[in-house]
Amino acid sequence: MFFLIEYDRPRGTIVELREFDPASRQLAEDARLQLELDLNRRGVDHEIVILDAPNKEALLRTHSRYFESVAEMVHGSPQVQALIAETNKLPLEHEG
Amino acid sequence: MLYSESVEGHNVEEASADSVGPTFVNLLSKTQVDQLGGRLRKGSVAEGDLQQLDAYRRSFAGAYDEVVAIIRDTTQLEPTGRPAKSTTSIIEKLRRETIRLSQMQDIAGCRVVVDNILVQDQVVERLRGALPKAIVVDRRKQPSFGYRAVHVIASVRNKLVEIQVRTELQHVWAQMSEQLGDLVGPAVKYGGGDADAQQILARISRATASFEEKGSLTSVPELVGGIGQFLKYAIEKLIASAKPEGGS
Repeated sequence: MFFLIEYDRPRGTIVELREFDPASRQLAEDARLQLELDLNRRGVDHEIVILDAPNKEALLRTHSRYFESVAEMVHGSPQVQALIAETNKLPLEHEG
Repeated sequence: MLYSESVEGHNVEEASADSVGPTFVNLLSKTQVDQLGGRLRKGSVAEGDLQQLDAYRRSFAGAYDEVVAIIRDTTQLEPTGRPAKSTTSIIEKLRRETIRLSQMQDIAGCRVVVDNILVQDQVVERLRGALPKAIVVDRRKQPSFGYRAVHVIASVRNKLVEIQVRTELQHVWAQMSEQLGDLVGPAVKYGGGDADAQQILARISRATASFEEKGSLTSVPELVGGIGQFLKYAIEKLIASAKPEGGS
C-alpha cells in the first residue's frame, strides 16, 4: 500500500491521508505532485510524503511520528515499558 | 538478477548516481540535477523546479523496489519505506549541508525495526551478504547527534537506496527526535537549536546505548528519567504553543 500524507509539522497533525493500492504507485506520485503544486501556489508550507507499507499497522509502527503524540509513542512502546518495569526491580542504590 | 554497483572508496555522502533514471528527467544531466538542487537551496520554489524534482525522485522507483525485494528475501522482514524523500526534507538537507542534490544518498529509503541489537546485527549481516558492495554505516559506534542505528547504503541500478536498521529503542529515540524537531525546529536534530531539547535527547541516547550495548541495568533509571524529562518538556512545549498533541 502507498500512503500519501500531508503533514503540518508545527501543529504535529496530519491534514490529509490518502491510501493507494500497491499497483497505483503512479497515481500516488501524480497526486503528490498536484498537491505540492497546489500548496506551493497557495503558499502553504506542509510536508508531503509517500510512504510504502504492507498495511497501516506496519506504518504506525515505523513512522509513528506522523500518527502519535509523544506520550502515545513512548507509552505504546513495549521496550520502553519493559525498561520502566526493570526500574522497579532495581535495588535502592541504583535508583536515580 | 541483482545489479549492484560498488561505491567503495567514496565518502558515503559523496557517492553519487551517474544517471537520473528512465523518466523524462533523463533529459537532465547530473549537472542540471545539481543546478536544480542549487535553486531549491536558495529559497522560493518554482513550479518547474517542483516538476523536475518530482521526475528525479520517480527515477528511483526501480532501485527502491529491488532493494525492498532483497530485504524481504534475505531477512523475512517486511520493510516500510519512503520511496522518495519529501521536498521539505530535501530542501532542509540542502540548506543544512553543502551536499549536492545528485549526491544525496537517502532520496529513496526504507526501514526495518527489530527487537534488539543482536537481531540488528544479524539483519545487517544478511543484508551485507545480499549486497556485498553496499556501504554499512554503524551509527551505534559513532552516533550522529545522538542518533543511533545501522544504515546500509545499497547501490542498485546506479541509484543509492538507504536501508535503516533500527532497534525498537533506537527507533523510539529517533521518533522523539523528529517530534522535538517539529516542535522546536529541525536544528535540534543536528546539534543546534534549543539547548534543553538537545540535552534531553543526548541523555536518552547515552542511556539507551549503555543499556543496549553493555546490558547495564544501572543505566535504566537514567533512561527512564530521561524519557520522563522528555515527555514533560514536550508537553510543556505543546501547551505553550497551543498545539494539539495527536495526529489525525
